[in-house]
Amino acid sequence: MADVMNVGVNLEAFSLAINAIQALRSSVTRVFDSLKDGMKNKETLEGREKVFITEFQDNLQSVNRDLNELERLSTLVGRPSESHPLHNSGLLSLDPVQDKTPLYSQLLQAYKWSNKLQYHAGLASSLLNQQSLKRSANQMGTSAKRRPKVQPSTLVLPIQYVDDVISRIGRMFPDMSIELFRPNGTSAVLLVTLGKVLKAIVVMRSLFIDRTIVRGFHENIYSEDGKLDIWSKSNYQAFQKVTDHATTALLHYQLPQMPDVVVRSFMTWLRSYIKLFQNPCQRCGKFLQEGLPPTWRDFRTLEAFHDTCRQ
Amino acid sequence: MGVTCVCQVPVSEGKSVQQTVDILHKKLEQLGAVKQGNFWVDCETYHATGNATGQPSKLLYVMHNSETPLSCMALFEGGPGLSADANFDVLMVKLKSHFQNAKGHKVESRGVRYRYCDFLVKIGTVAMSSSARGISVEVEYCACVIPGDCWNLMKEFMQSFLGSNTPELPTVFTSKAEGLSVPVDCMDTMSQYLELFGRVRKQQVLPGSGVR
Repeated sequence: MADVMNVGVNLEAFSLAINAIQALRSSVTRVFDSLKDGMKNKETLEGREKVFITEFQDNLQSVNRDLNELERLSTLVGRPSESHPLHNSGLLSLDPVQDKTPLYSQLLQAYKWSNKLQYHAGLASSLLNQQSLKRSANQMGTSAKRRPKVQPSTLVLPIQYVDDVISRIGRMFPDMSIELFRPNGTSAVLLVTLGKVLKAIVVMRSLFIDRTIVRGFHENIYSEDGKLDIWSKSNYQAFQKVTDHATTALLHYQLPQMPDVVVRSFMTWLRSYIKLFQNPCQRCGKFLQEGLPPTWRDFRTLEAFHDTCRQ
Repeated sequence: MGVTCVCQVPVSEGKSVQQTVDILHKKLEQLGAVKQGNFWVDCETYHATGNATGQPSKLLYVMHNSETPLSCMALFEGGPGLSADANFDVLMVKLKSHFQNAKGHKVESRGVRYRYCDFLVKIGTVAMSSSARGISVEVEYCACVIPGDCWNLMKEFMQSFLGSNTPELPTVFTSKAEGLSVPVDCMDTMSQYLELFGRVRKQQVLPGSGVR
């Protein structure tokens, strides 16, 4: 109630003050008008000057009077209520015709929205800073400086070293044959033949696996011009699914400091497909689901699951 | 070319051949299989004539498969087989003096070809001199060529639409000297069909079952 009263008093003082401002402005205008007009035509020069000076003094006095009045009223008006969260724009709420100018409610909405946005953006940024995403987020902050130093050392490995690592991995798995090709320059392309189940083409950059594609054992791996076909996908849905999962595995096994470990882990994982058609799903116990065998292999346990059973 | 299994499905009691085939079609379509054209497999019988050496005369079967339209397969009964170009038929005409075509012994299976994921299913009506004698079902798992690897998987698939008529592992695979881990070839499929046609030939003519 007190607020309402206060507002009422203030409003009255406001209208008085506005009137006082108008009066002040007109008296100031009068001063400049008389100055602009200059001295009126009087017979003697002294008479002319006298009239002009008294007029000027009168005008200045009325300005002074109006100014004093305004100052007096301004103390009555007081400072606009600072307690309002929206400061001066809070006064918009005093507008009695809400329906025509819903400015105040819109303003509140916008204010809330921007508050929320700021809060969520803060949360997101703190979360993102915690997660060091393995491939791309390294460019952030301090690691951006380290990155150029790390990458070249592992990207430029001697060809002999790469050959050694691959042949060592090849000897680890007797049921898996790995052939190494270098069709274009120094980058190696591996042709992995896993038992009589599948053939995988693994495209390397130094010791990093860049891309992999899995096809059936009896599918063609060479294109018409006799080169390794590293692009076209398998004709069979089962191997298309395995290709998808192998690409997931590439992203999962990441250890930039020790690329040979990554290749070894990937090959160990790939080797678990030797029983692609023989192992039933570990969850539902069946061989087929929607016509496909269990194409997913767990990254740690290497157990077989259907794509839909793995969660 | 994947692992194939050819089997004969008995005609349901009180139903005609065509009705039983329709039931199988419906079951496959409910499973989600998609119709993908037609197929046919045929087999002609030849008697070896001019048997000078006194050996018992062997039968030679010449077969065609719509899956390999440019080839022609010739199999001796229980003996070796060969696959040749389609004009092998012309050669057989020239060899009339040695091999005589047993007319009226031609058996063929015609029907619809279904695809379900990596499976090919061919449901055919086996006909001999234009009378329907039975139903053949061929299931091929195209993604795998080793019968020992994918047999359980295929069996599970066949159970889903053949139920109790699901066959056992075909003898053509089990009788191989090298075992179940040898990749299959098209002759394995043809010898399964030959075996099925042999059974159909011996069986009684089904009463009232003309071809469509």
